[in-house]
Amino acid sequence: MRRTILIIRNDIKRRLQAPMATILFLVIPLAMTALIGAIFDPGAGGETKLPPIKLLLVDQDKGLASKFLIGAFDQKEVKDMFQVTLVDETAGEKLMKKGKASAMLVIPEHFSDDLADQKPTALEVVKNPSEEFLPGVAEEFAATMAVGLSAVSQVFADELKVIKSASKLELKDISIAQMTPFLEMARVKIIALQSYLSPLLLQLKTSTLAKPGETAKPQGFNIFSYIMPGMLIMFLLFIVEAFMREIQNERADGKIRRMMFSPLSTRELITARLFSGWLMGVLVCSLAMGVGALLFRIDWGNIPLMFVLVVVSCFWCAAFFGMLNAFFKNKNQAGAFASPIILVFAAFGGSMLPLEQIPQGMRWLAQFTVNNWFIMGCREIVEGGVPYLSFIVLSVSGLVFAGVAMVALQRRLSA
Amino acid sequence: MQQNILEIKNLSKSYGETIALANFSLDLGKGEVLGLLGPNGAGKTTLISILSGTLRGFTGSVAFKGQDLFADRNLKSLIGIVPQEMAFYEDLSAMENLMFWGGLYSIPEKELKKRARELLAVVELGGRAREPIKKFSGGMKRRLNIAIGLIHRPELLLLDEPTVGIDVQAKVNILDIIRNVGRGGTSVIFTTHQLSEVEQTCTRIAIMDQGAILAAGTLAELVRIVGEKEIVEVSGEFSAGAFSAIIQQSDGNGMEILSVADNQAHLAFADSERIPAMMQHLFQHHLPIADLKIKSPNLEAVFLKMTGRSLRD
Repeated sequence: MRRTILIIRNDIKRRLQAPMATILFLVIPLAMTALIGAIFDPGAGGETKLPPIKLLLVDQDKGLASKFLIGAFDQKEVKDMFQVTLVDETAGEKLMKKGKASAMLVIPEHFSDDLADQKPTALEVVKNPSEEFLPGVAEEFAATMAVGLSAVSQVFADELKVIKSASKLELKDISIAQMTPFLEMARVKIIALQSYLSPLLLQLKTSTLAKPGETAKPQGFNIFSYIMPGMLIMFLLFIVEAFMREIQNERADGKIRRMMFSPLSTRELITARLFSGWLMGVLVCSLAMGVGALLFRIDWGNIPLMFVLVVVSCFWCAAFFGMLNAFFKNKNQAGAFASPIILVFAAFGGSMLPLEQIPQGMRWLAQFTVNNWFIMGCREIVEGGVPYLSFIVLSVSGLVFAGVAMVALQRRLSA
Repeated sequence: MQQNILEIKNLSKSYGETIALANFSLDLGKGEVLGLLGPNGAGKTTLISILSGTLRGFTGSVAFKGQDLFADRNLKSLIGIVPQEMAFYEDLSAMENLMFWGGLYSIPEKELKKRARELLAVVELGGRAREPIKKFSGGMKRRLNIAIGLIHRPELLLLDEPTVGIDVQAKVNILDIIRNVGRGGTSVIFTTHQLSEVEQTCTRIAIMDQGAILAAGTLAELVRIVGEKEIVEVSGEFSAGAFSAIIQQSDGNGMEILSVADNQAHLAFADSERIPAMMQHLFQHHLPIADLKIKSPNLEAVFLKMTGRSLRD
């Protein structure tokens, strides 16, 4: 144990005395996060709005309800969120094929009549397959509108029938006497509803509690908290890999042979190496996350949980590269294979592309990467959850790799 | 009778078809400085690797102080190793390295510091103890490599080609250190392919080739193998075949062919008066001889006799 601690202390001391490589590995993910964040949102200062959603509207109904629906997109808050273009169906389909809009909302023929007659009808949302979030928002909005319109059509069923029949008459043919009872009925319903709706008896107010001595944090989607975990885990893999490759260097330059003359056992040596790699990863990752929180105002959510995620992820990295180094013959082989492995992990694990953008057929590969579990874990913690699955997968597979590394490295070192 | 500190018996190790050690046997007495002389590929590094426990799959036995070296882990910590490579951390200082390597032997810190200072003085690095090693010259690094091997006061020191790649002055310095280590009572095995180094430094010499000991003894004992003969080194632009053909036509009484290679041959004469006649015979056959050297019997002659080739080959 004493010798294991001595090796770990020596490793950390050496890294701290020549910190340039570690600093670089710390700075690069931060710089890349800043760069990618700036590309996707040039005005990003920590709190970011979604870009306007390009929505195509096809009005095949041209009735009262469709006008009401189109008008809804003209409301101030909705207008900020959607960039609506009215098109006919053919033009809409062409634009969608070219990927010029996030979604297309089709209001079918007889939509208003069907609503008035209480017949089932449907709004159609066509989503752009190359986008994930923005079409989803459009879909949610259309669903909410459909629920609202459905409720209105049921409450005001009789009035809508009158309005529908009146809309087919010339203005001179409409008698005020005929309309008065229906208008009165509508007025009574509105007054009755008003007592429920205005003011609402139950209101939902949301806020985030600030810790004592802190000001409330701004709420909103922070693009950096979305990008940084992917960058971080990719560079964490590079850091830990470089650390674990020390075994190959020490074999090549006779240090291991010298160590083997001392009372140090191979088991102690491997334990020390795994622990050093893990510890270095935890230090660098924690530091990078701290700097990320300050620079990009990222709220990492539950800090102890996030620390546990960092701990298990770094353990996985150390164990994985410990195991690989047992199978690499020399440091050149280790160097040649490690970088492609890390890049494949990054590509399929969500470090380079958001997981949602990876083609469906290849997305299953992500579950074999530490990147995927780290990124998913981070998201879950940021959103207030507990990433049990990430913890379990990373801990269990990390333990298996550590076990294999221990056995295989012992063989390799005494080959 | 002095007890042997190390007894190696019938050690054999192969890498596939290649035999690295073939029934290698060797004894070493306390305080003895043994020079293990052999060309590259003779099996010297394989021997050191087996002794360190980093190489398995061998047959034979190694006894250290009468006990099986591999049965008791603690025995190995009585051995110090100076690998051919610079086996230390270049980003640390000499002092930090000594403290680390000594720490592996669980030496108490106070005692370790004292020992480290003492060794740094011995290897003449006392004034540069706190400097990062990457600033050191090749000779300084080699000296530190030796100091690390001695940090735990080993009873046996194994040095694997400790003078590779350094200048003459640094080499002299290192050979002095090795001699002093032996005088201090530590047994030393010192592998090299430099004849002059073992002649100057070792109390006993073993000639090794193709994984086996060919001859072992003091310098005087080994020289007696060649006998009181004059060694003639013939150089010129000739092929080994042509030289052998001409020499076989001569009256070879009292002459022994030690080695024949393209452009160089070594002959041993029991009677030095026969040398001019032989030279005349070579000139008569128009052998293009450029240089002729007559030497007293030395280790090189022994090596040539034992292996049939020069160490430089």
